[in-house]
Amino acid sequence: MSSQARDLVERFGDRAARLAFIRPKKPEPMPIELNRGRIYVLPTGFGLFIAAIITALLLGALNYNNNPAIFLAFIIAAAAHNSLVHAHLLLSGLCIKTMHAEPVHVGQAMQLRMRFDAKGARDRQGLELVCGDSEEKFDLLAREQIEVNIEIPATRRGWMQTGRMRVSTVRPLGLARAWSWIRPDTDLLVYPALESQAPSLPEAQGEGSQSRMHSQGEHLHQLREYRHGDARKQIAWKASARSEHLLVREYETQTAKEIQLDWFSVASLPYEARIARLARWVVNAEHSNCRYSLRLPDQFIASGSGPEQRHACLRALALMPHV
Amino acid sequence: MLLQLPSTLMLVFAFTLALSFFYPRQLPGFLRFLLVAFLGATVMTSYNFGIGRDAASAGLLAMLALKPFETHSQRDAKSLLGFSLFAPFAAFLQDQGPVTLGLSVVAVLLCLASFAALTQNLPRISWRPLLKSAFSAGLIALPLAMAGFWLFPRLSTPLWGLPENALGGKGLGDRMEPVEWLDKLTDDSIALRVKFLDKTPDRNQMYWRGPVLTRFDGSAWIRDLGAMVRAPPSLGSDSNRNSVRYEVMMEPSSRRDLLTLDLPTQVPGYAKINAEFTAVTQDPVNELQRYEAVSSLQPVFTGQLDDMERMLALQLPGELNPRTRQLAQQWASETPDPIALANRFLSWIQKDFEYTLSAPLLGRNSADDFLFNTRQGYCQHFSSSFAVFMRSAGVPTRVVTGFVGGDYNKVGAYWMLYGKDAHAWDEIWVEGRGWIRVDPTAAVAPENILDTVDDLDSSKNFAESFFSSTFETSDWLRRSWNELILGYNAARQKDLLRPLGLNTNDAKQLTFVFMAGAAIALALTLMLLLRQRKEDLHEVERAWRIFIRKMRKQKHAKLQHEPAALYAERVAEIYRSKTPDQADRILQLCARYTQWRYENREFDSGEIKQLVSDLRQFKPF
Repeated sequence: MSSQARDLVERFGDRAARLAFIRPKKPEPMPIELNRGRIYVLPTGFGLFIAAIITALLLGALNYNNNPAIFLAFIIAAAAHNSLVHAHLLLSGLCIKTMHAEPVHVGQAMQLRMRFDAKGARDRQGLELVCGDSEEKFDLLAREQIEVNIEIPATRRGWMQTGRMRVSTVRPLGLARAWSWIRPDTDLLVYPALESQAPSLPEAQGEGSQSRMHSQGEHLHQLREYRHGDARKQIAWKASARSEHLLVREYETQTAKEIQLDWFSVASLPYEARIARLARWVVNAEHSNCRYSLRLPDQFIASGSGPEQRHACLRALALMPHV
Repeated sequence: MLLQLPSTLMLVFAFTLALSFFYPRQLPGFLRFLLVAFLGATVMTSYNFGIGRDAASAGLLAMLALKPFETHSQRDAKSLLGFSLFAPFAAFLQDQGPVTLGLSVVAVLLCLASFAALTQNLPRISWRPLLKSAFSAGLIALPLAMAGFWLFPRLSTPLWGLPENALGGKGLGDRMEPVEWLDKLTDDSIALRVKFLDKTPDRNQMYWRGPVLTRFDGSAWIRDLGAMVRAPPSLGSDSNRNSVRYEVMMEPSSRRDLLTLDLPTQVPGYAKINAEFTAVTQDPVNELQRYEAVSSLQPVFTGQLDDMERMLALQLPGELNPRTRQLAQQWASETPDPIALANRFLSWIQKDFEYTLSAPLLGRNSADDFLFNTRQGYCQHFSSSFAVFMRSAGVPTRVVTGFVGGDYNKVGAYWMLYGKDAHAWDEIWVEGRGWIRVDPTAAVAPENILDTVDDLDSSKNFAESFFSSTFETSDWLRRSWNELILGYNAARQKDLLRPLGLNTNDAKQLTFVFMAGAAIALALTLMLLLRQRKEDLHEVERAWRIFIRKMRKQKHAKLQHEPAALYAERVAEIYRSKTPDQADRILQLCARYTQWRYENREFDSGEIKQLVSDLRQFKPF
């Protein structure tokens, strides 16, 4: 993905994108369809160079009334002009259906997956998706859909939007660039950065070890609703009689440690460092197959484990207010 | 353009290009320097260190041949491609024929294909789709290019002058000198093509009048520039009785004279008839000129020769040609009537003189030498000696240069006049009758001057007539090219737009016309660009869609999610009450379609054909 040096016109287009009248003016919901109201076309630097040459040729030809030369100059000029129209048509009708990305930590590259399709039955080749410094080229054939992956850097924890992205093409001749800005309002989650050299996980507290729900065990943990497949001897008949539902007993067996990750236990650290440390601990705890809970100033995530628990914790950390 | 280069240069360029192709790395600096110096020197020596159009074109090619050596990035490639656009245009400086244009279009399409190649950042480029897309880009560009070509405001006067050595004229000069004329008389290229619009004059009247030469310095005949500003003698109205109208397409001559049939009465507005009845334009004819004119075959002069003109037409250099003078004075006293005198002279030279292009050189007294010694020569000798003789006899005489004869092109029904048809004849002034044409060369060798095509045709065998007809066809094609493409200019553009009530002098109107034309062309272009790729459907599928469309028109549209079988049942139910057999037909068609579409059974071609035709011919009511 070596991005070429941007030419003069391209830089101009990028700058002009900040102007108030350039569309889209606000972030917009998916799906985004590119229509003529939002497609911009300008010659490329190369196109300007060729235009200068055509002008010189045409002027000379007209001056001497050299008809074959005039004709030829007009053919090139018309081909160049048509490439402006053609470039526009390559984008017009293009549709960005969906956009997804798995959450990543700050500092990692986020893999953005965007699904494109298009109205009409035209082949659209040589399309380019540019987001910041990264760009991705793709072809969209008639009546097909394509998923384009593009890597964008995740810089800040919390909800992130991609900002202004550019869909563009310089086909067919490289003389003109048609482009359209897209500003999806899709919120992408960025987990907090991980502390790189965090101390090991805090010791398990309370009864000290990790515990697991089990249908048989010594300590009664709780009663819960009957689920299909539960053994008959588990049913707490007495309790069920008092309730509307059939209840079963659930026991707790101490099979593993349980770790309590507490915001207030790392009070000595600065704000963002606390988040980074807790995020690191969440990842480590998950990694070592522990059960863990997370206490934050305004919420508590009960003990658990697995990808969902990890996501819930990291999400909560990511969405901690920025100070 | 490459073909117009000297062969050594061609070889060197080809070698350089091949070298850059097979040696893709960057050459060391000193080698590059050597190569540049070598190519530069070759170009310079090929053109004898002259700087002009040809040398400049060769220089451009040399640079283009060298550029690939330092082309390593996209940026380099882009500038190389941009500058190589100049090459096909340089070719038009030399030749504007259809072949050159064809080659140039190919070159331009290759350039476009290369542009397209640059947009695909692929390790390996497949050229076939690129060439195809370049070709279609060229094709789609045609409407707009045509609009530009016909309607873009043309310059009626050039913004800057022509490069001087771009002028290579076939024009008749302001002087008549023997050696120069020999070149003209062996020139095989076309000088003008003429089409008679009403009637065709006799062949012996086809004298195409060019510059008139009045001053004689003993060896050369020189034009009297004063005639440019004097008005022509008046002609009687009877002159119009026997007049012909014709259209001339004249090759560039770099002279200001338009050739007209002897004697012109009406010429195009940008030219005027001078005192010697030569049509003269404002600017030199540097491009193909197309004009209409009217000439009188029997002009009637009403005025008198004024003293100034008489003096000019009698002027002779002092003591030269004593024998001619003596003979002229003697004959003039015996036959005072100028016409009888001229006839006597003609019958004299008819007997003893010979027409040849390899005439011996003449001495200081050229007329004496020719009339009494060599007696061999061509039009220049005959007309010059006749004029000296008649002037010595006191008859005002002048030499007229132009073209005579020509070949008839049966394919295009026009006359072709070549450089070698250049001719010189005389005019004598007879009181009461005006200027009368006398052609002493024709008296000696009429077949050399006035060959008729019919005479030639009868003597031709099959092969010759085949070749001549092929030649005529090709010349006709060339003429059509000239007329349609090369002859188009500001004046023709004006003619084109006049019937629409448009005035091309009005810049606003012209711009409007161009915009309108361009808009129409753009609409056409858009239509071509918006062509969609047709879905590749099986014929049964196509027939099925037609069937569904027919049903939709009957307000029985098939829902998007509805399978064919369920749909058939639903619709059949509607039809059942009124037309039961129609309902059965629908059920059966849908069932067959479902079978074809989903059942794991190959239909043979007969079954498919039957299903297609049944689906297509189904009438839903």
